[in-house]
Amino acid sequence: MKSLLILLIFSSGFITNPEIPNFRLKNLDNRTVAFNSIKGEQFTVIDFWATWCKPCVKSIPKLVEISDEFKDQGVQFIGISIDGPRNLAKVKPFARSLGMNYPVLLDVNSEVMAKLSVRAVPTLLIVNSDNEIVYIHEGYKAGEEIEIRDKILSLLGE
Amino acid sequence: MLRICSLLLPLLLLSSSGITAQIYGSNTFEFQLGNLPFEDDRDYSTGYNQTNLYYDSGNISLFGRFEQFLSPIEERNYTKFTQKSIQFQDDQFRVRAGNIYETLGRGLLLRSYDIPGSVFEEAFERTRYAFFRDLEGFAADFTSDLFEIKVLRAQPLFNPLPPNTLPDSLRRPDLAEAIQANVYLNNELSVGGILMRNQTFGSDFTNYGALMSDYSISDYVQIFGEYAFELEDAFGFNSENDAYGIYLGSNFYRGSFGGSFEYKSYNNFRIGSGYNDPPSLIKEHTYPVLNRSTHVLDTGGEHGFQFEVYYNFDDGHALTFNISRAVNNAFLRFEYIEVFLEGLYQVNEQLSVKSFLDYANDELKGEENRISLGFITDYLFSNGSGVILDLQYQQFDREEFDLATGEFQPNISSNVYSSIAYSFSSDFILAGILETSTDPQLTDDPTTFITVEDETRFWLGTNMLYRANSSNTIELFAGKRRGGPACTSGICYEILDFEGVELRLTTRF
Repeated sequence: MKSLLILLIFSSGFITNPEIPNFRLKNLDNRTVAFNSIKGEQFTVIDFWATWCKPCVKSIPKLVEISDEFKDQGVQFIGISIDGPRNLAKVKPFARSLGMNYPVLLDVNSEVMAKLSVRAVPTLLIVNSDNEIVYIHEGYKAGEEIEIRDKILSLLGE
Repeated sequence: MLRICSLLLPLLLLSSSGITAQIYGSNTFEFQLGNLPFEDDRDYSTGYNQTNLYYDSGNISLFGRFEQFLSPIEERNYTKFTQKSIQFQDDQFRVRAGNIYETLGRGLLLRSYDIPGSVFEEAFERTRYAFFRDLEGFAADFTSDLFEIKVLRAQPLFNPLPPNTLPDSLRRPDLAEAIQANVYLNNELSVGGILMRNQTFGSDFTNYGALMSDYSISDYVQIFGEYAFELEDAFGFNSENDAYGIYLGSNFYRGSFGGSFEYKSYNNFRIGSGYNDPPSLIKEHTYPVLNRSTHVLDTGGEHGFQFEVYYNFDDGHALTFNISRAVNNAFLRFEYIEVFLEGLYQVNEQLSVKSFLDYANDELKGEENRISLGFITDYLFSNGSGVILDLQYQQFDREEFDLATGEFQPNISSNVYSSIAYSFSSDFILAGILETSTDPQLTDDPTTFITVEDETRFWLGTNMLYRANSSNTIELFAGKRRGGPACTSGICYEILDFEGVELRLTTRF
């Protein structure tokens, strides 16, 4: 039986790049949304952050600028807050006061974070239209937004 | 195993017929060689490994977590398949079975969690294991534009017990059955309710309920509330024995200004073995001197508020002010009050300066006039590398028992945290950390009963982090690491002091 199970798993066909599942999370208006319903036509940039994350305060305004630059080119930014119930009340004003004008989702139980093997915040993923992860960037220090912007440019140019 | 295979077989047969599937996951391996403080000088080497494996095919997902702990002492070791789950999900409907996570409402009645990547070390046997509180059972939910409904029947994990101490069935003493419904009356207003019952070690069920609502007064102001209670005590929260939890709050923003106000009140509100883990009252800090000075919620009797405002300036500066107060009244009355101010100043593109000032009184711990302050500079060199200098200081008054006089005497204790980190890039960071404390509760060697050591204690350690690529990360620690309470994502737990070498390898595949 075990051999059969393994055989079936391996005969199901694989994808080289890890693929984002169509996860569902609540947004800042307390509504549940599916990833596929808000993802970008060409690329989706997913930024994992938290209200208590100090580097996130620095990175988010830079990401907002990049989001504004590429939003008409099929690139959609999505912020995923990993704040738990203790800090949930702070997420919306925090996001808005930092100018986040793209969808913000709430991963209260860290389920999506765990599934995508995200271990720290901020972590940024770029996902293509087939939901494949094509770029991962962990941490942030000043100037690294240039690397992220260049990566989006190169992906759009491919 | 045979039963699991039988269950999975039809699903895999279905999913393998023309639908693309994938297996992916992560692995964490941690090796330690070292000692706990005040322990005999003996090297104790342990290895811990955690593998998380996911299988997705169409709407079906499978998950398994495998953990292994190895040490020279056989009875502390284990090799276990600690989590497994199966899920079906489409755009509106989701059903899950096995080890799952769910939070009801704002987490007053039930909250489960996983802190990805965290490894918890149990104090008694020094057994390490993944830090999570999952639910083992079944859950289903349905979401539409008008309403949302979820049901579950599951056993929460009592995670203070390590996986090798007791069989998994005994680590799950509680059984929770619940149904939650939320109705979206319009774009601004939603109302909802929860019915839940709990059984502990096969006792009679205790019934709970909750009412909740979210209302957006305008684009800039939102209010919310949840009242959870034991059904027998509904709306009788004047009695000392009634079990209830109240969480009221509001958040607001305008331009670069934002803030929140929260009021919470808990009375006799420990459900089962304490798995409900409702949100605590005070701010969670990330600065080490403040994070470990946290006030842990007592659901037996505690009420208070937290108010926070912040302003993010256009040129990268930011200012945050927070005040919080918690009053414990389960047995004796203890008050905790804290005022916090934090500023971030972006001097130029290369240099930023962050500082904080915090004042607190913690009657439960006997800490008065606790003052904490910190100064952190972050400098970026022209070649892309950077250096972060972090200096934090804390002092407080606390009466200590004097063995010579047999009386409590006033005493001032201090804690210092200092670190310097050099980052070649985000992928390669070297850091040195020096901590000191004059707190008698830390300087005293508990193995010498008559003598009270009061010499300043030092912890000196070095950290290295290297991300070889997007899949592999290496972390190395050597030296002494200070333990104590720690809070992450609203979850508080105890970290043990450690002296030695620790290597961690993380792989994503």
